Amino acid sequence: MSRPKWDVLWCPFHSDRFITWDSDAVLSLYEIGPRDNSIRDNDHIYLQISEHSIAELVSSITINNYAKCIDIYPQPEPDIVASGHANGKIVLNPKYMRTCNVVAWNPVDIHLIMSGLDKNSKEHSVLLWDVQHYPKGSERPIGEAGISETIHSAAWFKHDSRCLAFGANNKQLKVVDFRDSAKVVNVTSTKAVYNLSANPHNNYQLLSHVDNLITVWDTRYFEKPIVTIAPQRQVTKVLWCPTRRNLIGTLHKDSAGLHLFDIQYCGTEDTEPGVLERVVLPPWHSPISFSWHLTDENRLLAISLQGVTDYTVCERITLNWSARSCLMWNYAFKSFKYINSEDSIYKELSDISVLTKRRAILEYGLLTDLAQNGDIAENESLKNLWQWLYLSRSLVEDGTIQSPDNKHPGVRTILKLESQQNLSNGFLKSEVIHRSWADIGSNYTTKIYRSPDREKSLFLCGLRFDKETNTAYDNAYLEKLEREGAYAKAAAFAVFNLCLRQAIDILNRGASKKQATILNMVAMALSGFSEERTTLWRESCQKSRSQLSDPYLRATFGFLTSDNDSYESVLNENGMTVEDRIAFALIFLSDNKLHEYLKRLTQKLIEEGNLAGFLLTGASMESIQLLNKYLEITSDVQSCTLIAVRAFTPKLLQENQVQVWITNYRHLLNAWKLWFQRARFDIAMKSTIPQERPPQQIHVSCNFCGKSISAFMQGLSRTRVPFRLGTTPNKLKMTACPNCRKPLPRCAICLMHMGTVSGLQTAPSPGGSRSEECDIKVTEFNSWFTWCLTCKHGGHSEHISQWFRQHTECPVTSCNCRCSSLDYTRNATVT
Amino acid sequence: MFEAHSINAEHKDLIHDIAYDYYGERMATCSSDQFVKVWDEDEHGNWHLTASWKAHSGSVWKVTWAHPEFGQVLATCSFDRTAAVWEEIVGEGSGPEARGSKHWIKRTNLVDSRTSVTDVKFAPKTLGLLLATCSADGFIRIYEAPDIMNLSQWTLQHDINCKLSCSCLTWNPSLSRLHSPMIAVGSDDSNPLLGAKIFIYEYSESSRRWVKAETLSSITDAVYDIAFAPNLGRNFHTLAIATKDVRIVTLKPIQDNMQTGVSHFETNIVAQFDDHYCTVWRVSWNFMGTILASSGDDGCVRLWKDNYINHWKCISVLKGDGTPVQGAETPVLATPPNSSTPAQQTPSTTRTISITTVTAEKPTLTVMCSNKWQPPVIKGRFSKSVWLGNPSEPTPPPLPFIAKK
Repeated sequence: MSRPKWDVLWCPFHSDRFITWDSDAVLSLYEIGPRDNSIRDNDHIYLQISEHSIAELVSSITINNYAKCIDIYPQPEPDIVASGHANGKIVLNPKYMRTCNVVAWNPVDIHLIMSGLDKNSKEHSVLLWDVQHYPKGSERPIGEAGISETIHSAAWFKHDSRCLAFGANNKQLKVVDFRDSAKVVNVTSTKAVYNLSANPHNNYQLLSHVDNLITVWDTRYFEKPIVTIAPQRQVTKVLWCPTRRNLIGTLHKDSAGLHLFDIQYCGTEDTEPGVLERVVLPPWHSPISFSWHLTDENRLLAISLQGVTDYTVCERITLNWSARSCLMWNYAFKSFKYINSEDSIYKELSDISVLTKRRAILEYGLLTDLAQNGDIAENESLKNLWQWLYLSRSLVEDGTIQSPDNKHPGVRTILKLESQQNLSNGFLKSEVIHRSWADIGSNYTTKIYRSPDREKSLFLCGLRFDKETNTAYDNAYLEKLEREGAYAKAAAFAVFNLCLRQAIDILNRGASKKQATILNMVAMALSGFSEERTTLWRESCQKSRSQLSDPYLRATFGFLTSDNDSYESVLNENGMTVEDRIAFALIFLSDNKLHEYLKRLTQKLIEEGNLAGFLLTGASMESIQLLNKYLEITSDVQSCTLIAVRAFTPKLLQENQVQVWITNYRHLLNAWKLWFQRARFDIAMKSTIPQERPPQQIHVSCNFCGKSISAFMQGLSRTRVPFRLGTTPNKLKMTACPNCRKPLPRCAICLMHMGTVSGLQTAPSPGGSRSEECDIKVTEFNSWFTWCLTCKHGGHSEHISQWFRQHTECPVTSCNCRCSSLDYTRNATVT
Repeated sequence: MFEAHSINAEHKDLIHDIAYDYYGERMATCSSDQFVKVWDEDEHGNWHLTASWKAHSGSVWKVTWAHPEFGQVLATCSFDRTAAVWEEIVGEGSGPEARGSKHWIKRTNLVDSRTSVTDVKFAPKTLGLLLATCSADGFIRIYEAPDIMNLSQWTLQHDINCKLSCSCLTWNPSLSRLHSPMIAVGSDDSNPLLGAKIFIYEYSESSRRWVKAETLSSITDAVYDIAFAPNLGRNFHTLAIATKDVRIVTLKPIQDNMQTGVSHFETNIVAQFDDHYCTVWRVSWNFMGTILASSGDDGCVRLWKDNYINHWKCISVLKGDGTPVQGAETPVLATPPNSSTPAQQTPSTTRTISITTVTAEKPTLTVMCSNKWQPPVIKGRFSKSVWLGNPSEPTPPPLPFIAKK
């Protein structure tokens, strides 16, 4: 097996220098420097070895073509090349007409160098030379070993400086000790004799390979390898990583990857170590050889026919993300890095969990005023929805809309469009009014539709239908829009009111205020309105309508130019808000068309998860679908839950999907330790079902008969006996079980029975507010009984908490329970 | 410039896992140095090492917290073929100094595996105190502590043979009662000929055993990590997979097969990113399952987010040392590979666009560009050249940059 000549080696004492050896037998010494874009002295030869570094040629030398191996002199010397050259000299020692397969400097006794030669009968193949005390003329090695053997590779032991391991004859690994006249002290037979090297972190371990086998040896148990790895491809190079324990890097034939084998030891010696393989694909192409950097972690240089690559293997990164939005990962094994929700980089992520937590702390969804919840949401569509909930509730509560069970009926509910059969029953029966375009003096009329249900629905859209003028948008509303600068919207509504002149006035005012010439142009175009179906005006309006950027202006022209009362271009104008479109449909669409349109729109909005669709669905099964879609898109389970809790009927709340939201939201609040918010949420949830009281969760039962005492207490309070635990002097003292007349447990401190007042009354505090607060409470917490869940001992809570301020153990004699330390939540708050 | 906060790790070898407790206030880490360390966050947001002990006699692969309802409980698994359950208890010593001093004791050692135990995870709290382990011999084992007050007694309830060396497992965290308990397990077997590497098991209430509900046949490369996203009440499950690329798969239960008791799923690969260049090691979801973090061989942590329905894209890249990567601000929109629109067919990465800008800025690099080799764009801890051509073409070598005159 002939070794390829290409090789690369780091200089042992200059961390930024390395030597390459290429096929032309040129040894080149390079120094690594940063790559800068400044104009470089072109006399220099350099290699680009990585993205931001280059290697500059320091010097190069051509060595004899027959050279087979190199090693670098392991000492900081100014002239490194000379040492490389020295290697060459020794290899080329003319006395031996055999191929020299390996040279190796002794890492401790730096004047020693060994050479391993090819086989020659009756001659030694391992020769040890001393370069310092080189006897002039004699040219004899100072040590010899390995008669008639071919030496394939060799390695010095670091701890045992005169011991050398070498692989010989394709069948043996040997260890010789030059102190003891080159005696072979250890031998094993194996075919893995190539690239032998000693583990820099373990004095006894050797590494070698042959074809498809990598072996690790322990010189203490040299009979068989402690680890064998059988890769799929032929191995070309194996090296211990000098910076990490038990890591081997290998190159394989016809494989671009660097294979890393991490040897895993188990504590017990008798189990065979395991090996974890990892393949990295550095940006190189079929590397021939590589060299680990001696000090920089996981850094290596690889050489291929195309050049040299400087590469650092990344350690595996593990990472995790906490409930408190802290993303943590490891950087090698030196440190952990983390970012949390306070960091600017995290804020850019717009993590919904941060937003959800902030909203939860602000009691989002729990505020009594429904509309206020929308202000907390900081989201336009949520704000609109909460405002609509407020609107619909107030409409139902003041009797404008009759809806006994559902406080938030949708438009479709009010129009009774939800079930199909109503259509045939003539569900709407709207009155048709032909209204003329009065203010331009035209007697051209447009059909508008009226019915009580339509009017109620318009209320839900935030509009009031004026019965006198048959208009939906009153002037006050238009003026408000104008003040807000929404001229296009105001003009569109004026046109929908069939007041063209008013619309033109609005646009003109807008043009002068906002300096927007487009509004002037639109006003001009509007003034040319003609009711004839075939005029040039109509034709050109239809063409240029799509050029307008404002959706309300587009809708205006769509309305004016539409045929057959279909108004498709207004109804499908997605730039208009949903409630405006519905309001328009409620005024101008005939019963059948309205039904079709609302059905289609509902479907579409549910599919989009658009919260504006709530106006159509109201609080109904359809709205659960809508919110679920919204949840899938935004993951905003909080809004879904809170809208459900505040708006849904008790029956809808029992739906499985809604219950899943509630469970999930409570889980979020729990993990954030937002106990108060969770409690308020639970209260809000229960308050929607006024009849159903939560079942009693705690019962106090007698030690002796096991019957509940609390049940008896409730009975007492129901019969209006003033039962107060330890507040008033004339309270009922219940110191015995009402069933079996046995005494109740005693307080461990004061030895009084449960139910008696604790002797230590706290002095009334000077502040008046505090004592008032105490008066409001039915019973004082201090007089209550508390007990440890582990040892079951307890007493008045005041006594007990006082006791544990100074003690860790239970106050009961002979009980060693560490009650207070076992209370994890208490510890968490104390420390 | 922003830099991530740093904590001195104090581990002596590779760190394999970081686990947060339920509240995110405690953290456990484990390493090849055979130690487990517990860290606590103080009120100022600083992390302090509060416990460190040698937990196993081999590399500790994973560590995980139980729900706090069961106490302060950790489970670990190791190369030494065991998994262990640990509980924090209050010290025995008397006197004021010893008060409140805590330490961790081993409650049980689960020794059923004959090979390295590669992952351990507690089940969602609603299922009780259940622990799943998976091991290199291809077995998933599910243990239960029947008495939650007695953590030293665990019974092996089920063992499921996956027939392929397992590397990772994840419980479906869904809180919905309609979803039966579910585990996904991944295999790190690198032979693609052995077929799918991800199996999904479901507990069948009727037959009282775990049955294989789904096999993700599209993933045949070694899988290193797998994570179900928090469900939050969606009617589909989202699974993140770390293999040679980052993949996100949705599983939507199909309602029809109610009689058999085995659910079937409509699976869709909704995102696939090879930005990590080679191997992806870990994936982790944020608390509400909207952002995915992944780490890979490029030495970077990448964050992915769903912009709208299944339009995932990279929103941030952080280097392993905690500094953000330059030029990551303009990532390209990622599209699902099965997207029907032809313009979005290519599995997108952030590279294509950034490279053109680099070429435009640096005309000096035209020699290399014409040869389809680009200077590295991703500025990780190491350099990386990017091959722009058709992957089937032979890769041209990087030119040595010799400017000799």
